[in-house]
Amino acid sequence: MSNSRIRRFGRTGLGLIPLGLPVLMFILLAVQSPDFFEPQNIANVISQVAALLIVALGQLLVALIGGIDISVGSVLSLTSALIVSIANPWLAIGSALGASLLVGAANGVGVTIFGVHPLIMTLASMTFVQGFTLLVLPAAGGNVPDPLIMLAKASVGGFPAAFFWCVAVSLIASVLLYKSRFGLRVFAIGASSENAALNGVDVITPRVVCYVLCSVSSAVAGIYLTGRISTGDPTMGQPFSLDSVTAIALGGVQLAGGVGSVIGAVLGTVTLGLIANGMNLLGVSPFLRAALTGVLLLGAISLQRRRTIGV
Amino acid sequence: MRPVVAEPSRTLAGSLKSAGGRLLSLPISYIGTILLVVYAGLARPVLLQPFLLMLILRQAAPLGLAVIGQSLCIRVLSLDLSFGGVAMVVSYVLTSGYLKWPEPALIALCLVFGVAVGALNAFFIARLRASSVIVTLAMVLVLSGVVTAFSQYRAPGDSPDFIKYLGQTRIGIVPLAPLVWLGVLIPIAIFLRASVFGRYIDAIGANPRAAWASGLPYVRVVFAAHILSSLFAVLSAFLLVGFVGFGSLSIGADLALNSLAAVILGGVTFGSGKGGMLGPAVAAFMLVFCFNLLTSFGLGEPGKEMTQGAIIALAAIAYASRTLRQ
Repeated sequence: MSNSRIRRFGRTGLGLIPLGLPVLMFILLAVQSPDFFEPQNIANVISQVAALLIVALGQLLVALIGGIDISVGSVLSLTSALIVSIANPWLAIGSALGASLLVGAANGVGVTIFGVHPLIMTLASMTFVQGFTLLVLPAAGGNVPDPLIMLAKASVGGFPAAFFWCVAVSLIASVLLYKSRFGLRVFAIGASSENAALNGVDVITPRVVCYVLCSVSSAVAGIYLTGRISTGDPTMGQPFSLDSVTAIALGGVQLAGGVGSVIGAVLGTVTLGLIANGMNLLGVSPFLRAALTGVLLLGAISLQRRRTIGV
Repeated sequence: MRPVVAEPSRTLAGSLKSAGGRLLSLPISYIGTILLVVYAGLARPVLLQPFLLMLILRQAAPLGLAVIGQSLCIRVLSLDLSFGGVAMVVSYVLTSGYLKWPEPALIALCLVFGVAVGALNAFFIARLRASSVIVTLAMVLVLSGVVTAFSQYRAPGDSPDFIKYLGQTRIGIVPLAPLVWLGVLIPIAIFLRASVFGRYIDAIGANPRAAWASGLPYVRVVFAAHILSSLFAVLSAFLLVGFVGFGSLSIGADLALNSLAAVILGGVTFGSGKGGMLGPAVAAFMLVFCFNLLTSFGLGEPGKEMTQGAIIALAAIAYASRTLRQ
């Protein structure tokens, strides 16, 4: 992103597209489909985007330090597989979070300490974790403990549980990024790792922590989603890796690092959710929906001109 | 000018050290293949029978072709993960009967499609400077989404005869597929060694900024690498469809990851400008041999995926830490 753009939009990256796209989608859907503003449909949209939002906020942390994590989908699937495979629900959740911590740490150490390219490192862990997931749970099925289903599906005061999940993760991400030293370091490292290091900022630990938090957030998304669909699925997370990148890229987060915001990630996720919901309401094939996500992703990253060519 | 200090290689310890260093700088695939073959000789000697070795070579041929393209991309610091999507479209075009064209026209259409996808990838990567991984993964989303939507109306069917011939013919005990692979690999390897284009690729790989600053046709070279890469993916899909004899939507799904693993194992690394064509080719054989060995031990798809992941991670870490030391 050029300096003039940074001066105009600050480090949030919130330009015309991240702000305008969701509004445009709202208007289009409201005009096209009279069912759109039904409370049931709005609740559906929120439930559908909650898991993606949790993953996208994790992806945001990694993107802010100039990295990327495409193993999030596999971690989400692994969580789902573990929850239905381990009888004790607390042990299942504990082991899912523990496993995600390990994956995140491996990604972080590989990228920051050994200097492997983040895409290669997380592609490798994505493949490994997906294989392990299929070993744990070869096919979709299994029972999800009742408390988990309730956590994902209950509604309080007319608001679906998904709404509270969304608010909670957005608040946690905001406090981490805007009210803590960790957040300051993340922005400093993302803007220029060398400058940050020369100014005495520890550039290793926060980067590893970002990868760990990203991985843990996908495990949390996995816990929510498994509760919501009430069964385990070893390939449940597959679309999330690219969807989460698309969501933050649509939200004005620069994948080169240093520029992005929680509100951007939320808006990007809402845009993707509205597009999916709109295509549902209009009866478009789900496969073409995947193709459209691809086109959107291409469009969103084309707007982010980088200095370098290549990976 | 005579050196003031004796060269280390003149002493015995020095020459041993430099020989060790040279051995360590060889692609992992050479040592890996030898170790795997020796291990198979002890644990599963059946795998080393000429007939089975030929079958493994045949299996390695499509991957080998894809690896040529992937190594070109990685040498110019890019990456092509769109192989799966390309293979899916090729398999659909060849076998669905959606287009009632004669065989040569269908094959030509697939080749043109390969050039188009490669050029489109390169446009986003080199002109708009988007990340190659995201561009090519997005391309897979688009291609596979469209093909899957189409296949709801018309499923993939039987493969054309020429493609079957390519995949299933043998000359003596030698299958045609590996010969096609070698027939492509050897001229390309010689061309890259001898031509200016090859030098451009090495220069960009070694130092992209310097290459850019000295006015090399950077963008054009990246375009060429991506177009060639997609063309190799098309050829690879021809062989895959030919082996099975009919099309499927899952054909070539693991080409991208396996080719990436093979290129890394074959000693081509990001940003070093190093790497040839032989290392990755041997690595393609090594990977397929390794998967066969794993299958013979009863390890299914999950085990295969875990091995793929572990190989990519460990090889990338090994090379990255080697570069850090230097």
